[in-house]
Amino acid sequence: MSFDIISMILLWFGLYYIVSLSLNMEFGYAGIPNFGKALSVLVGAIAVGGILDRLLMLYFKINGDFITGSTYATSAINTIIASHPIVGIGILILAIILASILGLIVGAIFILPSAKLKEDYLGITLLAISEAVFLICTYNLNIIGGYYGISTPDILAFVSGEYRGWVFAGIVLIIAFLVFLFFERLLNTPFGRVLRAMRENENTVRAFGRNIMMLRIKTMAIGSAIGAIAGVLYSLYTVNIIANAFTRVDWTFFPFLMVLLGGKGNNKGVALGVLCYVVIKVLLDIYKYNIKYALNIPFEPVWLSYMLFGVLMLLILYYKPSGLIPEKPILTPPMKKKIAEIKQ
Amino acid sequence: MVIRMIKIKNLNAGYGKLQILFDINAKVEKGKITTVVGPNGSGKSTFLKTLFGLTKIYSGEIIFNNKNIAHVPPHQKARMKIAYLPQTNNVFADLTVEENLKIAGYVLDKDKVKERIEIALNIFPELKNILKRKAGTLSGGQRQFLAMGMALVRDAEVLMLDEPTAQLSPKLAEVIFGKIVEMRDEFGLTILLVEQNAKRALEISDNGYMFVSGKVAFEGTAEELLNHEKFKEYSLGITAL
Amino acid sequence: MIIEGAIIYSNLLVLLALGLTLTYITTNVPNFAQGSYAIVGSYVALTLLKLFGICPYLSLPVLFIVGAIVGLLTYLSLKPLIKRNASVEMLMIATLAIDLILLGVIGAYSEVLSQIVGSTQAKFVFANLDFSIFGFRGILFVSTLVVILLLFGLYLLLYKTKFGIALRASMENPSLAQTMGIDVEKTRLFSWILSGALAGVAGGLLPFMQEIVPATGDLIIISIFAASIVGGLRHISGALIGGYIIGISESLITYYLAMAFGAGFLVYGKVVSLIIMIATLLIAPYGITGVDWKKVRKRLFSQ
Ligand SMILES: Nc1ncnc2c1ncn2[C@@H]1O[C@H](COP(=O)(O)OP(=O)(O)OP(=O)(O)O)[C@@H](O)[C@H]1O
Ligand SMILES: [Mg+2]
Repeated sequence: MSFDIISMILLWFGLYYIVSLSLNMEFGYAGIPNFGKALSVLVGAIAVGGILDRLLMLYFKINGDFITGSTYATSAINTIIASHPIVGIGILILAIILASILGLIVGAIFILPSAKLKEDYLGITLLAISEAVFLICTYNLNIIGGYYGISTPDILAFVSGEYRGWVFAGIVLIIAFLVFLFFERLLNTPFGRVLRAMRENENTVRAFGRNIMMLRIKTMAIGSAIGAIAGVLYSLYTVNIIANAFTRVDWTFFPFLMVLLGGKGNNKGVALGVLCYVVIKVLLDIYKYNIKYALNIPFEPVWLSYMLFGVLMLLILYYKPSGLIPEKPILTPPMKKKIAEIKQ
Repeated sequence: MVIRMIKIKNLNAGYGKLQILFDINAKVEKGKITTVVGPNGSGKSTFLKTLFGLTKIYSGEIIFNNKNIAHVPPHQKARMKIAYLPQTNNVFADLTVEENLKIAGYVLDKDKVKERIEIALNIFPELKNILKRKAGTLSGGQRQFLAMGMALVRDAEVLMLDEPTAQLSPKLAEVIFGKIVEMRDEFGLTILLVEQNAKRALEISDNGYMFVSGKVAFEGTAEELLNHEKFKEYSLGITAL
Repeated sequence: MIIEGAIIYSNLLVLLALGLTLTYITTNVPNFAQGSYAIVGSYVALTLLKLFGICPYLSLPVLFIVGAIVGLLTYLSLKPLIKRNASVEMLMIATLAIDLILLGVIGAYSEVLSQIVGSTQAKFVFANLDFSIFGFRGILFVSTLVVILLLFGLYLLLYKTKFGIALRASMENPSLAQTMGIDVEKTRLFSWILSGALAGVAGGLLPFMQEIVPATGDLIIISIFAASIVGGLRHISGALIGGYIIGISESLITYYLAMAFGAGFLVYGKVVSLIIMIATLLIAPYGITGVDWKKVRKRLFSQ
């Protein structure tokens, strides 16, 4: 039992770290209040449920309606994966590539209507777009099965049930680590510094001839591609997709909570923020009924968790707006030199 | 002996972390016109804003009627018979002229407001015909009259005017200067004036301060300032300290 | 019939958008919790109905007060951030947090209420309680009447009272208003109270229109923002114009889409308001009331 908790924590840590890293680039570095973060995760689900499943149906020549068809297609592929693990890994890689491409495109389009807007209108528009796509995906069963849900391939069909959680957590952690390295690299290039400069003052960036709109488009394209990878992993882990799962609370609000808790603009701080949140979340998930009966709460514990996390967010904003580990100033080589000089 | 109305001691102030005013010492005498002149960006407007509590004061005192009012919030200062006319956005564009005048008397009781509006309209009869117009549709001169009229409605003892003649034709500016003198001589008001048109302003003033880069460069009677060796140089705004 | 629905929906949107615009003007906070304010009102109305048998129409004054309290509490919890000059992103995140808290409270409360009443109250409508005149639904008359009354009251307040003029003055130029002796803080507080109150009333009427669940607020918030933005977030009258534009087009376009392509298209209502909102932002970022019509006319004539 307690062992499962650890694998759950690791898994969720990896998933949320990927999402939060991408949000941290968008919000923490570039200052884009992406209140539509959930959309990118949903894009990952669309890549798996909407595209991969259909490709599989084509491959196995399954006709008929999408929801039942994908059930047959996934069970067909699962049988293959069970004897050929390499196919499972291939499917994972294929899904990630699909999702990244789709994420790049969606992210770039997503920001287009609002690329010139001020922060508040920008945030509102992103939230509204994300919410509208979420509604469509929920009520239109033809995209990813909507509220009814569809099954997705089990890329670990060759692993026995008791180890599946662990192996999956391992895969997610490896990918999260790669994403972390990617961002550390990316944000230490001139591109990363321009992003921060844009957050501080758009006019200086403009004065240096950088096109704000282009920067925002690039940022959101990359951010959404990475967010979509998390969506892929989540969809493949749960072996089915229910569109209702990609809510604003779970995939926008909580990532913001983690980024702000850890310290925006600081990828290592964010890791701490994610860990704190995930530990609480997993423990609440597992022990919610124990808590409910122990405290004699007359309602579903999920409501209580909403209240708690809402209050936690306010407390962070009041008392620790720069997070547990605040952002460090950027050290460009000339600055490092200066510091060395001062120290001597 | 002159009666001091406002005394400013070692005032340091600015916007957020950006300090603009450095160690200002000054006084404003009752029933007189005191004028602050100086190059663009020397902190004249900031000085008036600071007296009214609209900037951040790091240290120093503003003594008014024997009380330090440095940390009294602006809306309470309005009740202390101090009126302030900002350099820009000094009327409410969405409100009619009448509403603007009424709102200027916000802290007064109803009858008093009526009485003060009468007085203001007598000094600025130009406003009488445009009472129902929205202030946003007025011409520059009309707007300035309204802003001055609003300052009068306030029934203040001290008027702080930030460039009341800015962007007006020389003729209109002359009218405004005339009204300022009238306010001092007829109503015994104390006036703190900031002017770009330094020479003309000092000619109607009693005392003056020359601000350069947020500091008092020199001070004295209006005449002394006009004859100061560096007056021309500074008031043309060529030099900064 | 469909026009009837469109008008009812627009009336409610106007009430909600009015509150959103009001607090945006006075405090610069885009309030994501506005939708949930209404749902608080809906559940209070449900409680009064189930426990005391009070018709929801009669409980509107109570909802006005309850909404006002919610608005007040929101402002008090935002105040430390506003005082610190927190950025608008942070304020938006704070309202998202408040929205989540409200969602939690509403959800929890709906279950508690279910236990008291003895049947589930998670979903409900009032439509079955409505009366009808000449074949029209009662809510059509009531919501129109409520909007007219509230707007008339608001007009009197803003244009005929000293406090109202002060309120408009501080909306336009808070620092100048302060120099006139207006306590801008008071006008901010008032705008949040009024905003909550309007939403509370809208919440009492909403269940006559559509089914309510605890998360309904998160759904209608898109339309509310669309209405305010299309009308222009900087003018109160924008909420009125935007409310009707969004309300009517959302209802009508969705209806015709559904007629043409089948009932599945009923869910596309929010997409319609989203598209109108984005189009507005691209053409006239400050909404209809933010357009300088004189300039537009000039440009049209000079061509
Ligand atoms: N709201 C503000 N925030 C930050 N800095 C400001 C603000 N207002 C003015 N400043 C800065 O303070 C300095 C002094 O400005 P101020 O308006 O007091 O000058 P001034 O002497 O009135 O100039 P002018 O003659 O052009 O009116 C300037 O450098 C200006 O850029
Ligand atoms: Mg000035």
